[in-house]
Amino acid sequence: MSESLDTKITANPLIVLREEFDDWALLFNPDTGNTFALNPMGVFIWKILEQGELSSAITRKVCESTQDAPPDAEKQVEDFVLEIVRLGLARKEGERDS
Amino acid sequence: MTANSAGTKPFYPIAELYFYLTADCNLNCRHCWIEPRHLAASASSSCLDPALFVKIIDQAVPLGLNRVKFTGGEPLFHPRIEDLIDVVKKRGLRLTVETNGTLCTREIAEKIASVDNAFVSVSLDAANPEIHEWIRGKKGCFAETLTGIRNLTGAGLHPQIIMTLMKRNPGEMERVVRLAESLKAGSVKFNVLQPTARGERMFAEGQAVDIADLIALGKWVEEDLSKTTILPLYYDQPPAFRSLESMFNPQSGLGCHTCGIFTILGVLAGGSYALCGIGETVPEMVFGNAARDSLRDVWENSPVLNDIRSGLPARLEGVCAECLLKNVCLGSCIAQNYYSRHNLWAPHWYCEEAHRHGLFPETRLRQTETIK
Repeated sequence: MSESLDTKITANPLIVLREEFDDWALLFNPDTGNTFALNPMGVFIWKILEQGELSSAITRKVCESTQDAPPDAEKQVEDFVLEIVRLGLARKEGERDS
Repeated sequence: MTANSAGTKPFYPIAELYFYLTADCNLNCRHCWIEPRHLAASASSSCLDPALFVKIIDQAVPLGLNRVKFTGGEPLFHPRIEDLIDVVKKRGLRLTVETNGTLCTREIAEKIASVDNAFVSVSLDAANPEIHEWIRGKKGCFAETLTGIRNLTGAGLHPQIIMTLMKRNPGEMERVVRLAESLKAGSVKFNVLQPTARGERMFAEGQAVDIADLIALGKWVEEDLSKTTILPLYYDQPPAFRSLESMFNPQSGLGCHTCGIFTILGVLAGGSYALCGIGETVPEMVFGNAARDSLRDVWENSPVLNDIRSGLPARLEGVCAECLLKNVCLGSCIAQNYYSRHNLWAPHWYCEEAHRHGLFPETRLRQTETIK
């Protein structure tokens, strides 16, 4: 993971997580009405973000959680977290709430 | 949606035209939502003029057209169906054909197959001939449909089998899947009977499946029946009732299959432009006629179409306003909703009925406390 990304990332506390029977979930932004689907790994990462975590630690926790992480797991996690931040669902440390 | 050349007004391409090619049909299906005139003849006598068809295509291609759907009535009942298919092929457009299969000769099947990536769906409501023919209103049509399907597979196509669910046939679902496998179909889709036109009368007569049973059947198809076959099975209910995995996991291959209302326009057999086929039964959903009106003018300036573009999904009402998937679902079927309530923003009957019975999935609602 690139050094510039290794900052603490925290879930936007306004976002609502709706977990479903099959371990998938919806993320719902009450302010915008936007909704996003998360697969079980996305839910796992979201719960890490709810506690706030360094991006490098997120990747480590993901890899530790699964026996069969793909070779590009680090990149996939990085892209996912960047997307979460871009969508305003989480923020990097030092960023202000919008 | 993209920005137009001025960069200000949204531009919606017409990605697909639904051609309701015939105003009559060789079958007399008791649930049909279009309600065409039944005609016991070898060809339709009330169908889209081929010259008008070409004119419409010519006007639509610059507006973004890349796909056409032939439906009806019965599209293969059109006396010049092969000429129409040729037009689609020559323009390099994608083709979808929705048919009852009974008129699908080997020649027509090969003609359809000559169009790149053509997609055909064939209605088959039971593996039991008696039940299928009770629904379709013509003795002997079961065997004709199977012949049509075999002609399609013989031409290299793998049609989708579409079965509409009503009180009489859920016991046929698994048998239809097995029959579809044996016929080398490509997939099976289970449609829910809609309370429109003849379907509305079936609801009134108590011939529709109860909402609780419909939801249970959807779950059974997704969790059990689909595991018994290599064929993709689609259960056509609003996204709120489908698992997220079935819609969003690329490996499931099923996708959301939601209404393309922003990029679709219907063309009726008389040349009228309409909101899908609902214009056949709801005159205010007709926006013009190809014989006299410019397609661009209709598409860009129809007050109803512009209302839909600006209002969906934000103006949806009832349970649809509270649904977390409304941005994906867009009310499931605006034509159906309008037919039921004469209100473009009315909630879909399936969701409303489920909500009324406390069966709407709680995790899919904005406010979970609205569940009683």
